[in-house]
Amino acid sequence: MTSKKKKGFHVDESELLCKNGCGYYGNPGWQGFCSKCYREVYQKAKDAQLESDSLRKQRLAALQGPAVTANGETTLKFNKFEEKRKQHQAPKAKTVKTLFKKGSASPNKEVPHPWTGKRQPSIESEKAASDFIEFLNTLRKPAAQDITKQCKALIDRLQDQYELSVEEQSDIVQDFYQNMGERLQTHSAFKGASAEQYETMMEHMEKYMITRLYKILFCPPTCDDEQKDLAIQNRIRRLHWISAEMLDADIDSTKPSVIDYIEKAQTDIIEMNSGRSPIDKLLCIVRCSKNIFQVLNISRGQPASADDFLPVLIYIVLKANPPQLHSNIQYITRFANPNKLNQGEVGYYFTNLCCAVTFIENLDAQSLSMSQEEYDSYMSGEVIPAGTKFGEPICEGLRLMYANLATLDELRIRQDRLRENALSLQQEIKDFRDSVVKTVQDVLTTKPFIIQQPRMPANLDEENAAESSLLPPPLKPEVVAK
Amino acid sequence: MAGSRVDLKVVLLGKEYGGKTSLVERYLHDRFHGDVPYQNTIGAAFGAKKVEIGGKMITMGIWDTAGSERYEAMSRIYYRGAKAACILADLTDYTSFERTRFWVNELKTNEEHCKIYLSGTKYDLVENDKKNRKVDYHMTTDFADEIHAQVMETSSKTGYHIKELFQKIAEDFVDDPSNLEIKEPNTLNMYESAYKKKFCC
Ligand SMILES: Nc1nc2c(ncn2[C@@H]2O[C@H](COP(=O)(O)OP(=O)(O)O)[C@@H](O)[C@H]2O)c(=O)[nH]1
Ligand SMILES: [Mg+2]
Repeated sequence: MTSKKKKGFHVDESELLCKNGCGYYGNPGWQGFCSKCYREVYQKAKDAQLESDSLRKQRLAALQGPAVTANGETTLKFNKFEEKRKQHQAPKAKTVKTLFKKGSASPNKEVPHPWTGKRQPSIESEKAASDFIEFLNTLRKPAAQDITKQCKALIDRLQDQYELSVEEQSDIVQDFYQNMGERLQTHSAFKGASAEQYETMMEHMEKYMITRLYKILFCPPTCDDEQKDLAIQNRIRRLHWISAEMLDADIDSTKPSVIDYIEKAQTDIIEMNSGRSPIDKLLCIVRCSKNIFQVLNISRGQPASADDFLPVLIYIVLKANPPQLHSNIQYITRFANPNKLNQGEVGYYFTNLCCAVTFIENLDAQSLSMSQEEYDSYMSGEVIPAGTKFGEPICEGLRLMYANLATLDELRIRQDRLRENALSLQQEIKDFRDSVVKTVQDVLTTKPFIIQQPRMPANLDEENAAESSLLPPPLKPEVVAK
Repeated sequence: MAGSRVDLKVVLLGKEYGGKTSLVERYLHDRFHGDVPYQNTIGAAFGAKKVEIGGKMITMGIWDTAGSERYEAMSRIYYRGAKAACILADLTDYTSFERTRFWVNELKTNEEHCKIYLSGTKYDLVENDKKNRKVDYHMTTDFADEIHAQVMETSSKTGYHIKELFQKIAEDFVDDPSNLEIKEPNTLNMYESAYKKKFCC
């Protein structure tokens, strides 16, 4: 058991090495390979990208066999990598084919709506389209027409050029923002609009276009986003033992409202994955951040600063383990309007999220201010930190159980105290009785009960008998003279 | 999210307890260390502030950063895209002045378009009691000259030089011709895009 878990820790170290297992160190910039292997792999990947459909299918079939049997660490990783590429490419190849068919076919019966384009749109995409049309209706006609034209051109361009790398896609989109931003301010169709209106227009365009292109742009098979998603997910899973205290996160989880906001923040950051456009995703991050400030405000009783905010954000990310974290961050970085991303409040929260993720990726004993031994023992699972006393917002049932246990403990203590009191009361009663008995006895022995003669009614004469002896004898009658 | 446009990102850097958060608090909310009781702000980590420079409104986004050493490796993520950085040194703590060199080097190598401002903080503590001063006036000015930066001694407690510091940052931003394009867009059309490079990773 222990040895198995120890092994788990060592894999982490080996992750620093080239993923190809050649023995050199890898580099995240080369997607975890060493420079040499990266070039080889990447070249292969590029070639693979250009291969024809039939070849792809053939290799997919070939892969289904050996991929299962391969279980050596390094080879497995590489196979997985390849396999994933295939999984992604297969459906994409299909859509691309259908796309071409439709595109080249003679005018179809069902004329595609200008805003639903060539592909079968998803629900989100349809919603984005209707929102966008609604927005366009608020604009003057030439402006609406121009925006429509520009957006459509970009969507078509990205949908048609499916062989583009994600960096190239990003460049195209970023150039579009740049040029469109300038166009809005200089083109006659948009004259007289305020700065805020420009911004709204840019936002709507971004939202609409990128939502439409989501399937193509999010976590594309041409890059290793998916693999990195899995890596960070596993990493967070293995860091499950980290408590708020270790991060110096100022969370007072004895307050129910704090738990409430923590849960909200976690939901927000998880929801980021379901947003389609970068703006939607960013709004999830903003909501999450606001909830974190609530947590801090209630916990500390005063407004929080950056020093308080980041640890709690890290804590939330660790506890929520948001799906496809890396992909989402990359997607936002590549396709959000940089004006927003680099400067404003939204950018601030996004930057903090990037910091949190970087921190988690590089986290070691030192960053938690603990000894290497302690860290290793938690990491290997040998020791489980007594963190629950700080009331981590674990699952509701467990929390309730801990609460009940605490109540029971308290009840037991009270009962014990009651029994003690009862016993001592009993003792007191006994002592009291004894003392009463003893006092009575004492009194009885020291003061014996003697029955005295009842007092007689005073007989004046008799009583004075003694005294009377002192008295001169009573005068006797005497014969004095005859 | 409309209306949240920010022209200029100003990031605050410096050793922990150097006074970053206090500086942000003073400038954005005009308060110091809770001397004004709880207001309706939920946090002072980020704030946007409008300033008028020669009839133009400039919106500055002020970024407080987590200064703890455990986050130092991530500071690069914070200052990316910043047009100005305030590097803070606590005038009563020599080590915090030594630390400024680290950020200066970071910025010079990674963010060459970021203008650097040095600020000696907690001026109120050294103003009347010279023996509290651990960072000499000439040390900061000499260092500033060496790295071609502006320097100011400030106090978040009294508000001394706080407005001036940010006003200067905004003025320099407006005066810098390389920032002009933002306010007066030229007439590049859709196809001349290759000239413009965005700063994104
Ligand atoms: N007297 C005085 N104290 C200050 C000043 N600025 C900051 N402090 C104090 O220095 C400490 C650290 O400040 P803080 O803003 O939290 O530093 P940070 O870690 O860089 O954000 C706090 O106790 C502040 O009250 C100042 O201008 N004057
Ligand atoms: Mg601070």
